Amino acid sequence: MPLDDEAVAAIYREHGPMLRRVVWRATSDADRVDDIVQEVILRVWRQGPEADNLRAYLITTARHLIVDQHRAAVRRPQQTELVELADDDAALDRALDEVLVEEALGRLQPNHRDIVKCLYYERLSIAETSGRLGVPEGTVKSRAYYAVRNLRVILDEMGVTR
Amino acid sequence: MTSESDELHTLLGAYLLGGLSDADHRAFTKHLRTCADCQSELGQLSGLPRLLELARPVDGPHLSPDAALELGASGDEDGRVEALLARVARRRRTRRLWLAAVAAAAAVAVFGAGMWLGPRFTAPPSLPTTHVVAAAEPGSGSPVRVDVALVTRGWGTQLDLACEDMPTDGELLLYVIDRQGTATPAASWRATPAGYSRLTGATSLRPDEIQRLEIRDGDGEVLASATT
Repeated sequence: MPLDDEAVAAIYREHGPMLRRVVWRATSDADRVDDIVQEVILRVWRQGPEADNLRAYLITTARHLIVDQHRAAVRRPQQTELVELADDDAALDRALDEVLVEEALGRLQPNHRDIVKCLYYERLSIAETSGRLGVPEGTVKSRAYYAVRNLRVILDEMGVTR
Repeated sequence: MTSESDELHTLLGAYLLGGLSDADHRAFTKHLRTCADCQSELGQLSGLPRLLELARPVDGPHLSPDAALELGASGDEDGRVEALLARVARRRRTRRLWLAAVAAAAAVAVFGAGMWLGPRFTAPPSLPTTHVVAAAEPGSGSPVRVDVALVTRGWGTQLDLACEDMPTDGELLLYVIDRQGTATPAASWRATPAGYSRLTGATSLRPDEIQRLEIRDGDGEVLASATT
């Protein structure tokens, strides 16, 4: 394999599945997921950014590409709508953030995800969470601490800096 | 920091996510007024609840990644790599045609840049890693749990440990046992009041030379073990 091919294939194997999930959830258009993902990887490969945080760079590129295509689709309304709710860029940005947060939660280790689910989404108390998960209250507290820290690290890696 | 202040510090997590009892809430807000570490960490993390709120669809958050993973991991990955490479080849042809039409000096610059960028991406982006979970003997009733990631390195194996529900005092050690049954220490650390710690150990053994991993306490008692 030529050098370039190996490089592109390596980027795809490492980041392709994550990109496909993000693009699919943001566009709801299964036919174009592969197309957009390929274009993102090619652009990033050709621009050759500092590879420190390739993941964030790929996601930012995907975001730009989806926004550009969305704008083009708005100008030509007969084309498939990308995101049902997104009638402006701000709404599309919110939709992308939502997808990225869900992706980040998916990357959190399961026992940390359970804690976020109980404490944040189900509004359970520490004591109730302890009963639900069958771990001591002290463990719930320390897991909550490491869960928010890890989640912040994962989001930073994905380029979500808000 | 004292261990009491450590304990108060970890309340930051539930302070952000919700769920603290009134007493804990009072204790933490009082602590927060005087603890510069907590204030600065709260500053870094305070955006999280708003982000989490975004991921709250009507039917509950997609906390089980299975459905989303299905699309990510499903289907013909080799085929997708091939399609991608075909696209690379098309771009390369286009670029050659274009190059033929411009001055040789410009062509040298473009190719030079391309070759310089190449090797940065050719190194494998992730090292081969396997995961095992070390737990106490079944039936012992001990909740000890240690997630171990074995990362292949040129010099041997890096061992990333995430320990949970561990003893809260005393010394703890990680031993690697090779195929001949010889045990060598690969890390030692001090128990934390929260019973939770993350750390990294190292051994000169390659992953395939490691037969077992054991977490022992200072008296040599095996708390948890895993067979690789």
